[in-house]
Amino acid sequence: MSTLTLERGINAFKAQIDAPMASFFSSCVSCGMCAEACLFYTENPDPRHTPIYKLEPLRRVWEQEYTLIGKLKAKLGLSKPVTDAELAEWQELVYNNCSLCGRCTLICPVGNDITYMIRRMREGMVASGHAPEGLIGASTRAVNIGSPMGVKLPALQAQVRHLEKSSGLEVPFDKEGAEYLLMLSSMEIMNYPEYLGAVAKILTNAGKTWTLSSECFEATNSGIQIGSSDIARELVSRVVAAAEKLKVKTVISPECGHAYTALRWEGPNLIGRPYTFAAKHIVEVLDELRAEGLLQTEGFEESKLTFHDPCQLVRRGGVVEQPRNLLNMVAKNFVEMADHGTLNWCCGAGGGVSANEDAEEVKLKAFQRKKKQLDELHVDTLVTACANCRIQLEEGMEVNQMDIPVLGLTEMIAEHLVERKGGAA
Amino acid sequence: MRMQTPSPYEQTLGEHLRSQGISRRSFLKFCGLLASSMALAPSMIPKIAEALEQAKRPSVIWLSFQECTGCTESLTRSHSPSLEGLIFDAISLDYHHTLQAASGDAAEHAREEAMKEHYGKYVLVVDGSIPLDNPGYSTIAGISNLDMLKEAAAGAAAIIAVGTCAAYGGLPKADPNPTGAVSVSDIIKDKPIINVPGCPPIPVVITGVIAHFLTFGLPELDSLGRPKAFYGQSIHDRCYRRPFYERGLFAETFDDEGAKAGWCLYKLGCKGPVTYNACATTKWNDGTSFPIESGHGCIGCSEPNFWDFGGFYKALSIPTGASGKNAVYAAAAGIAAGVAIGAMNKKSKAEAASSHQTVTVEELNQESGS
Repeated sequence: MSTLTLERGINAFKAQIDAPMASFFSSCVSCGMCAEACLFYTENPDPRHTPIYKLEPLRRVWEQEYTLIGKLKAKLGLSKPVTDAELAEWQELVYNNCSLCGRCTLICPVGNDITYMIRRMREGMVASGHAPEGLIGASTRAVNIGSPMGVKLPALQAQVRHLEKSSGLEVPFDKEGAEYLLMLSSMEIMNYPEYLGAVAKILTNAGKTWTLSSECFEATNSGIQIGSSDIARELVSRVVAAAEKLKVKTVISPECGHAYTALRWEGPNLIGRPYTFAAKHIVEVLDELRAEGLLQTEGFEESKLTFHDPCQLVRRGGVVEQPRNLLNMVAKNFVEMADHGTLNWCCGAGGGVSANEDAEEVKLKAFQRKKKQLDELHVDTLVTACANCRIQLEEGMEVNQMDIPVLGLTEMIAEHLVERKGGAA
Repeated sequence: MRMQTPSPYEQTLGEHLRSQGISRRSFLKFCGLLASSMALAPSMIPKIAEALEQAKRPSVIWLSFQECTGCTESLTRSHSPSLEGLIFDAISLDYHHTLQAASGDAAEHAREEAMKEHYGKYVLVVDGSIPLDNPGYSTIAGISNLDMLKEAAAGAAAIIAVGTCAAYGGLPKADPNPTGAVSVSDIIKDKPIINVPGCPPIPVVITGVIAHFLTFGLPELDSLGRPKAFYGQSIHDRCYRRPFYERGLFAETFDDEGAKAGWCLYKLGCKGPVTYNACATTKWNDGTSFPIESGHGCIGCSEPNFWDFGGFYKALSIPTGASGKNAVYAAAAGIAAGVAIGAMNKKSKAEAASSHQTVTVEELNQESGS
């Protein structure tokens, strides 16, 4: 069997470098504003944590391979080729200290998409054998078992049986021609089973047809996190195959940030053709139901609450207003964090950080940024729409002895749902 | 600035100052400062005082074209309410669209009135450059800058072009000069024009030139139309860091030991040697300091085309790049090379993409397991 080598890594860098990246590297003015935009820098101010610096090996390959000056410099021995040791050194910068949150991209005064480049750089890190253990494990389980956490179909079936028994709702599997195919994340199956119940209740009540797929229920994509298009393509193809087999109109991405990015943005590019269905985040679907009058609520949350914007949703996905529309239906005392919406700070565990055991320490350091935001507000409840953010937030709160419960937006809406006459339930 | 009623025109400057509570002693001190800044002999001080005291308050019309109001800011901010400010108040500023209280038709009416009443006698002050490409780039009350300048210049005794924009085109004229900006002297050829360049000019130089015009008429000008009294020496010649230059002691970066010891900033791009202005002697902010004293090289703002000098931080001896024909050849060669490199890059990217081997989870585990 072939092995992962430096040569394959450098080749991947060369293959990944495209015109946008060339223009990004040539227009960087080294102003350092991306450093202040990055929570891995602000909470741990090592100059090496400056986002653009995390790309240094990739930048050197670009310079040496694709620029005249760089080629001359390399010929004259003025610049050295990127070594395996360097890539090993960079592993912690590219994986542990970056959640692909995209804040640096937004702040960059010359508009360089640094996040896009780090995602691309990971391709070379994987091909050269410098991906973290945790992400290798998650990717392996995702490919071989169908879930990065190793959750198998019987586990989901057990949850579904329990839900059907306790709620009286029907949770269909493999229903051809349904409007929605509901995808899940293993985190929701194992940590937050109430999510499935909430969606089942809302969709059924809205009179919509929906289904789960027994062939593919996992929407998260470890290939995107580890940065391997080959693995990401394999995983997203399974979702596409299931959706097209069941002939659904819309695939619903779960309360998970990167699953949305994988399905909504990277998916069609990975498989090289448009989908035959729409891909939407659950929050987008709920807001559509609200606008159509199919989602009505009663009563209000009395506690003071705020919303943590998942980066992939708000910054990389543009879903800003929808969660606020929904929250305002059920919350009387909703306050915004100082930096909210597109400028929100990451929870600290996105982009594969949560699956990476090497990042345990930095991820809790990064949480300090969220802690500062929350300390300013004195809220009773924190709401979010991403299971991965939620796990990180809960862990951060526990370590820092903060007593703020974290809730999923979908569950909160389901609790206030008014039963419709036209609904199937 | 209030609009002047006709009666104060009868008052001399001396009378006006006394009515404002300015003592003769402080007035003479001001005259002494003026004399020294204009490099006049001390024996001239009483003459300046006498001439200023007797001067009738002349009508001044101030036109602002393509400018940033920095020249007006410089004058008003740093001097109000000093003696110079009062002298300035004591001229009759009949039109200045930033400072006057009137607006709209009333303002334009004041300008037309002053031009009619003092035809042939008023002083025209201009700041900002004039766009020639399209008159619509800059207009006042629907009148293009070019038309307004020509009309106002016709009846002026003299024109003072304040700031580098009015004197030489300044920032608007910087390459590629999108508005076709030109200076006052590019348009008006039949009137005495005094250039008071600087970005902005030193406040005391503006008032000093006006005072000189009131007392002795037109000052002596250099080849670029600047009063020699203020622009006769280079910054470099009067710079307090000059001794370091002579001894070859240069700051190499803005935070090295040389910079901390106050050595010459020549290598950091100081344009002092080719810049003629009074900064090193009169200084700024009521004589507090000037840029070099604050640790930054001179950018040469009182010289024509200072924006295109080739970089504020490039030392003067470094050539500022190819020009003329060479630039055309260089550009052609560059484009050809660019196309060739682009083709090569495309090829190497395609090769890299085709030699990509699919990454499998088995490989991942093999590598991590080893």
